[in-house]
Amino acid sequence: MSSESGVQSSELNNPPQSPLNLRGDKRGVTIAVAGNPNSGKSTLINAIAGTRLHVGNWPGVTVEKKSAMFEHEGRQIRIVDLPGTYSLSPYTQEEIIARDYLVHEKPDAIINVVDATNLERNLYLTVQLLELGIPVVMALNIHDEAVSKGYKIDIKTMEDILGIEVIPTVATKKTGLNDLLKAVTSNTSVHHPKKLNYGSDIESAASAVERQIKNSYPQLLEKNPLRWLVFKLMERDSYVMDEIKIGDNISFIEEATKHLIKAHGDDVESIMADERYALASGLTHEVLKKPEFKKMEMTEKIDKFVLNRFLGIPIFLAAMWIMFKLTFDVSTPFADWMDAMITGPFKRWAEAILGLIQAPEWTTSLATDGVIAGVGFVLVFVPVIFAMMFFITFLEGSGYMARAAFVMDRAMHSMGLHGKSFIPMLLGFGCNVPAVYATRTLENPRDKALTALLIPLMSCGARLPVYVVFIGAFFAANAGTVLWSLYVMGIALAVLMGIIFKKTLFKGESPMFIMELPPYRMPSFKSLMIHTWEKGKHFLIKAGTYIFAVSILVWFLLNLPWGVEHKKDSYLGQVGQVFAPALEPLGFGNWEAASSLVSGLIAKEIVVGTMGEIYVQSTDDTDQTEVPTLTDDLKEMGTSFATAAKDAAENVISTFGVASMSSEESTEETEERTPLRGILKGQFTPLSAYAFIVFVLLYMPCVVVAIAMKQEFGTWKWFGIAFAYQMVLAWVVAFVIYQGGKLLGLG
Amino acid sequence: MSFVDITLMTVIIGGAVYLLYRSLWKKKGHCQGCDSETCDMTKKSNKKDC
Repeated sequence: MSSESGVQSSELNNPPQSPLNLRGDKRGVTIAVAGNPNSGKSTLINAIAGTRLHVGNWPGVTVEKKSAMFEHEGRQIRIVDLPGTYSLSPYTQEEIIARDYLVHEKPDAIINVVDATNLERNLYLTVQLLELGIPVVMALNIHDEAVSKGYKIDIKTMEDILGIEVIPTVATKKTGLNDLLKAVTSNTSVHHPKKLNYGSDIESAASAVERQIKNSYPQLLEKNPLRWLVFKLMERDSYVMDEIKIGDNISFIEEATKHLIKAHGDDVESIMADERYALASGLTHEVLKKPEFKKMEMTEKIDKFVLNRFLGIPIFLAAMWIMFKLTFDVSTPFADWMDAMITGPFKRWAEAILGLIQAPEWTTSLATDGVIAGVGFVLVFVPVIFAMMFFITFLEGSGYMARAAFVMDRAMHSMGLHGKSFIPMLLGFGCNVPAVYATRTLENPRDKALTALLIPLMSCGARLPVYVVFIGAFFAANAGTVLWSLYVMGIALAVLMGIIFKKTLFKGESPMFIMELPPYRMPSFKSLMIHTWEKGKHFLIKAGTYIFAVSILVWFLLNLPWGVEHKKDSYLGQVGQVFAPALEPLGFGNWEAASSLVSGLIAKEIVVGTMGEIYVQSTDDTDQTEVPTLTDDLKEMGTSFATAAKDAAENVISTFGVASMSSEESTEETEERTPLRGILKGQFTPLSAYAFIVFVLLYMPCVVVAIAMKQEFGTWKWFGIAFAYQMVLAWVVAFVIYQGGKLLGLG
Repeated sequence: MSFVDITLMTVIIGGAVYLLYRSLWKKKGHCQGCDSETCDMTKKSNKKDC
């Protein structure tokens, strides 16, 4: 650190203003929330504004800016959550989004969220935020953990040095938030940032550039904060240079920085970075006292095993297995209950209501065989999807997901990527669409495109209904293990395809990356519930929109030409017959399976919905002995739900022993209540069923992922490649499984 | 099949196609449970304009 570095008390070049008066609007105020990744920005905003932004205990959860509106003491406050960044350099998409917003949108104030357990690294960004001349209030977040670690932070000194207000907060416990809001919105208590002194060499060069800008380019100050602009010009920031269009007239910058470069023997960008680090480091030493003897913390103890070179991947696979086993054991009784309710009472009620209003006969069939069979068979799996999202949220919140990315780093390097690419891929276990958007956390376009191509191989929640139907019908005794095998197969094939792509489409070395590992934290129950709901409700929305729409269209396609005698001769049947021969070598070359796969191109859950419409419709003429009354139905719903809850509890207890799903009696009972599984047993063998679900895992990404890819990359090219390679991969792998299984006598 | 039946069918199919277009193409698949900057989140209602 230069001996001349430090802080000086003069105000920034922009005149000091209270945040509320900046725009002459005393009622409305815009506050940007900036900070390092995983410092708790989204949690803080959720706590302040009552929003439900996605949070997770890993870096890179927020990849775009998000805003929320709320009222505080009669004032309308717009709070903007910026992506987490370590600096305001223009190297990643998050940094560009954050700094573009701060520079061009000019928020009235910034809440700088600083992780109190990681002060030095966080202060590097703080130093850069102060260059912007926007009023800053620091939220010294995760303060409770810093205290429990024995850290003593001299807040008063930090406030004096930086000239901003520093409020200790614990966003997860909503501690310090009132003080924080008061500090940001109060007219009297706002401290204005001091001008940090970067040493005489830098400051004299900056003064020269500053003079020139004021004299020759005053128009630039309308859009850019002066000191920030001066530093960016000195650093020759390519984005700023392009944006302000000063062309070749940079001789004044060269002149001003000539001595600086000569004295330090480096380029200005490196010199500035060194000085900012020196300031952050000096400030940390000034205000932070750590305990002399550091005891080994729980996170370190756990990481000794979890990140172990040999144990890391087995532990990751074991964690996944436990997750899938629990998902199945907890949710299956509820899924069976929903199945029985939808195909029983709900269907009867719909028939009764339509009969009552004397609706045409075909509308009754449309409602029961189309909508209820189609949407209903997808809704049945809502408990499974929510259970899976709950466990994924738990792993995210606990900090294990970041470790998973770390242990996969070596495998990722083999395909020319690094561990950071695994984070969007892990997000893909929930839904591939946000995972594609999350690729923007990656620095270069090559990594982004390659990761996006591999994401559809991560098995998303939409594929779960298909797995659960087939696993329930054919592999009930080993449900968790079979489900686990599908997810592991997805990851293994992603690694394999990554290696192939690296040698063909994406030649080149993977860049170095240092993965940040957050401490383990126990996510709060409320947070788990909120984020499970946020992830899972997407499937409910889908069920109410395009799955509903497709179910109607599939019903018509199954019944047109009007009066068609056999479903095989319907339009959908004819389409299925076109594709069926191609699926014959895979063990499911019938029109029903082919039609379901075609409709599943819209969304994978629709495969099950279409099967529901095709199979259950054709066997609907089961004899009804006695129609239960509404009271009987309601009573049955209540008692069977209680039984499902009891079964789920027993399954959880016996997760590592004998699960109740393996009981023959219970399987028979389930089949009786869930007719689709029974019908599938007559159409598939266990081997062809496994080949089918593997095909569903691998064949093309759904339409929404296609649109997301187009949006993210601005071209259909990457979706085209994904479509082509996935179709071939799905066919080949399903073929190998089916034909190989037959050769081994498994068929 | 009567004229009423044909009209009803046309309306239902048209509605389903429009719903499909609206939820898949018009929104460009971007609104994932409103976890996006395109959503206007307000504390009062917690409703998100997607």
